[in-house]
Amino acid sequence: MRHVGGSHRGLDMWLLQRASAIYMALFLPIFLICALTAGPLDYAVWHGLFDSLSMKVASFLFIAAMLAHAWIGLREIFIDYLHCASCTLLRLALYFAFAVLYLACLVWAVDILWSVR
Amino acid sequence: MNRPRPFFLDLLAIRLPIGGLVSIMHRASGALLSLVIPALLYGLMLSLRSPEDFASVQAFFGGWIGSLIGLCLLWALLHHLFAGLRHLGFDIGWGEEKLRARLTAKLAMAAAILLVGLVALYNLMNAGGAV
Repeated sequence: MRHVGGSHRGLDMWLLQRASAIYMALFLPIFLICALTAGPLDYAVWHGLFDSLSMKVASFLFIAAMLAHAWIGLREIFIDYLHCASCTLLRLALYFAFAVLYLACLVWAVDILWSVR
Repeated sequence: MNRPRPFFLDLLAIRLPIGGLVSIMHRASGALLSLVIPALLYGLMLSLRSPEDFASVQAFFGGWIGSLIGLCLLWALLHHLFAGLRHLGFDIGWGEEKLRARLTAKLAMAAAILLVGLVALYNLMNAGGAV
């Protein structure tokens, strides 16, 4: 029995890429309609848009989906273009760097959204 | 056996089929969008923090450098979205025939460019009205 860790993760990521894409494709037009029907876009209207808990949660899920989608997409690009023998370490370093960056963005997004009150 | 194989990678002479063009632009726009996420979050933070910061974000995207950046990002988002929807179609077996795949490739590309053009036009008219 060989345990090669990558194969099943690849399928999970393929699925997560589609799931996050579908969520974003549904959220964006709905958000756009909400924003356009809320009135002329000044600070009060824009701020008020994120007032409700449902909009905070929906927006947070959008940002989470976007970050996951971006990480998987970049991973795909790194795999395609950085496949020389000595590139493995560079690739892993890039996965790590973007994972840290995007996790920080995720926490930041919580702070941004929930400071609207 | 490792015989040297013919190698041809003259990027100026290679003509991608329309599907290939939409696909590589899907990748490029995705990479661009991935890299600007922190900047976009910064903009979101400013826009929600205070009326003054909201006004500065508005002023940035109202200026011509800002609006150019905004239009580029909007194109990247729309192209990525439309090309992505096309790929989701392929996943469920829709639109894989050659003619239909070519048609949807053209549609995805044209729709993104058209919508960006409309927004640019709207911006120009609004800017003209404000002056």
